Amino acid sequence: MIKIHYILKKEFLLIGRDIHAVAVLFIMPAFFILIMSLAMRDLFELHSSVNIEVLAVNRDTGKSSGAFLKAMEKLRTFRFHLIDKDTVTERIKEQMLSRDYKFALIVKENFSSFVENKGKGKDEKPLELLVNPTVNVQTQLLLKSALDERVAKLRWDAFIDLIGRLPFFTGIDKGKLKSAENSPVLVNYVYKGGQRFKIPSAVQQSVPAWLVFSMFFIVLPLSNTFISERGQGTFMRLKSMNVSKFSLIMGKMVPYLLINAIQVIIMIAIGVYVVPLCGGATLTLGNSLGGLILISASVSFSAISVALLIAASARTTEQASTIGGIMNIIFGAIGGIMVPKFVMPGFMQDLANISPMSWGLEGFLDILLRNGSVFDVIPESLSLFIFGVVMLTMTVIILRRQKEV
Amino acid sequence: MIEIKHLYKSYEKPVLKDVNLSVRRGSIMGLLGPNGAGKTTIISILIGVTRKESGSITIGGLDLDRELKTIQSKCSYVPQNLAFYPRLTAFENLEYFGALWGLKGKKLKERMEFCIDIGSMQTFANKRVDKFSGGMKRRLNLAIGLLNDPEILYLDEPTVGVDTQSRNYILETIRKINRERKATIIYTSHYMDEIEQVSDEIAVIDEGKIIFHDDKQSILTRDDNVFGHRTLEELFLKLTNTSLRDEN
Repeated sequence: MIKIHYILKKEFLLIGRDIHAVAVLFIMPAFFILIMSLAMRDLFELHSSVNIEVLAVNRDTGKSSGAFLKAMEKLRTFRFHLIDKDTVTERIKEQMLSRDYKFALIVKENFSSFVENKGKGKDEKPLELLVNPTVNVQTQLLLKSALDERVAKLRWDAFIDLIGRLPFFTGIDKGKLKSAENSPVLVNYVYKGGQRFKIPSAVQQSVPAWLVFSMFFIVLPLSNTFISERGQGTFMRLKSMNVSKFSLIMGKMVPYLLINAIQVIIMIAIGVYVVPLCGGATLTLGNSLGGLILISASVSFSAISVALLIAASARTTEQASTIGGIMNIIFGAIGGIMVPKFVMPGFMQDLANISPMSWGLEGFLDILLRNGSVFDVIPESLSLFIFGVVMLTMTVIILRRQKEV
Repeated sequence: MIEIKHLYKSYEKPVLKDVNLSVRRGSIMGLLGPNGAGKTTIISILIGVTRKESGSITIGGLDLDRELKTIQSKCSYVPQNLAFYPRLTAFENLEYFGALWGLKGKKLKERMEFCIDIGSMQTFANKRVDKFSGGMKRRLNLAIGLLNDPEILYLDEPTVGVDTQSRNYILETIRKINRERKATIIYTSHYMDEIEQVSDEIAVIDEGKIIFHDDKQSILTRDDNVFGHRTLEELFLKLTNTSLRDEN
């Protein structure tokens, strides 16, 4: 027990004094989480709900324009921020760019005349939409279709009002002629394999993704220490001191399990407390602390085992850093860390399942996003554990061949 | 104290071939040999890190195969490389290795203080080792080897790359340990003058065999006609010949 205390102390001191290790294990993922949670916020929100902010100018003095804007806001997809009706177009453009609006809508003076099909200007286009060119075509079409549909509805209702009691004389119920408020389309989702599926927000994706990624990056400090110990004869010295093989392996595993645990706490804290301060959403934690501990420990065991295998196989720290770095980036790219799995095409989603980072990420998403329990993360944890055992066995075989343990 | 009989060891090719050697209790034995002669292999077998192929070894009357743990607890090994953690302080390194020796509490503190004193590290014990000079690092490397107060000390080229003052200090320390703690020391070096200075007996190994073993005094006062040498270096070159020993 005392030995483990000093082994832990030694490893923590070594990592604490290795600025590169601290940067890779703590600073890099913290920055990734912050940047990705904020940069990808709008993109992720498009997958779960659409909320489009529109700068609006209402130059029309009639009744129809007010009703039109209210009806648009009822859709809960658009929020209109009205500015002074005398604002000139150039000033609207300036405000749009400076205040980061993707759209500006100008309701022209002739809007009510157009809708009611009477008076001056009834033949001119009553709406002008200014669009930031960075907005994707789907979003542009969404807003334009909604505007078209609302204007058409107002015009139809105005037409019905215009023809007055005529429908009554023909035996038609005027109320039924007016356009319906509710959509006639029923939407049903089809889930692959009947699995539960929920789209994460940017922070729900970024925190577990970059956390898993950084946990696997313990390959750098671990291999650095391991290879130095081997090269400098420290292992030989330890073995001559009757330090057992078990202690040597545990002396590497236990400290890094704790370091991974600290990573989990810090990265989750960033998602809960720091990202919202910067304008992002708050990370939701789910309800299963046990599940969170289980999946964290499984990812950690798997990451440490891979790191030990690389450290045992590589001859120099440069080799270990290169192999470890490349392997992590490939695991991350395939496993849905850099590009979320749900935006990947089907065959890439299937390919993602070969990456242990994907197993870890799905496990964290089960807890943080889907409110899963310990039982929900058992499949991922088991896969990670088996993977870790295989890596560890290979490490011991290699070290035995090298006569290191 | 140390009895090696008919020791064999091979890796891809034979490294030790019928090595026979005995070292007296309390003596310092200089082990000389060209590169690749088998010095490090003998030491790694004696400290229990490498398994021998055949032969027998007894240390202090204990059989190495059967009493390895007991033997290891009485021995210490100071490798040629600086086998410690450069990002830790001297104090932290001593504390870590001391704890792994099973020392704790007052005993650990006492042994650390002893090692800091003997390595003359009082003024920089709390500084990170990567800021140390070559001589300071060598002294720490030796001090770590003294933490368990060993009865037998294996020193593998302990003065490589240090200045004259540090080298002299290390040699005096080795003598002091031998004199005051009665430790048996096996010492390998390429520096003949060092071996002459510290050793009580000298063995020469070449191509996996001990080709010469005698008391230092006998070697240095021996009649020229036997080997025709005036110095230890001349004797060594005559025994091992002058051809280069590039390891591959």
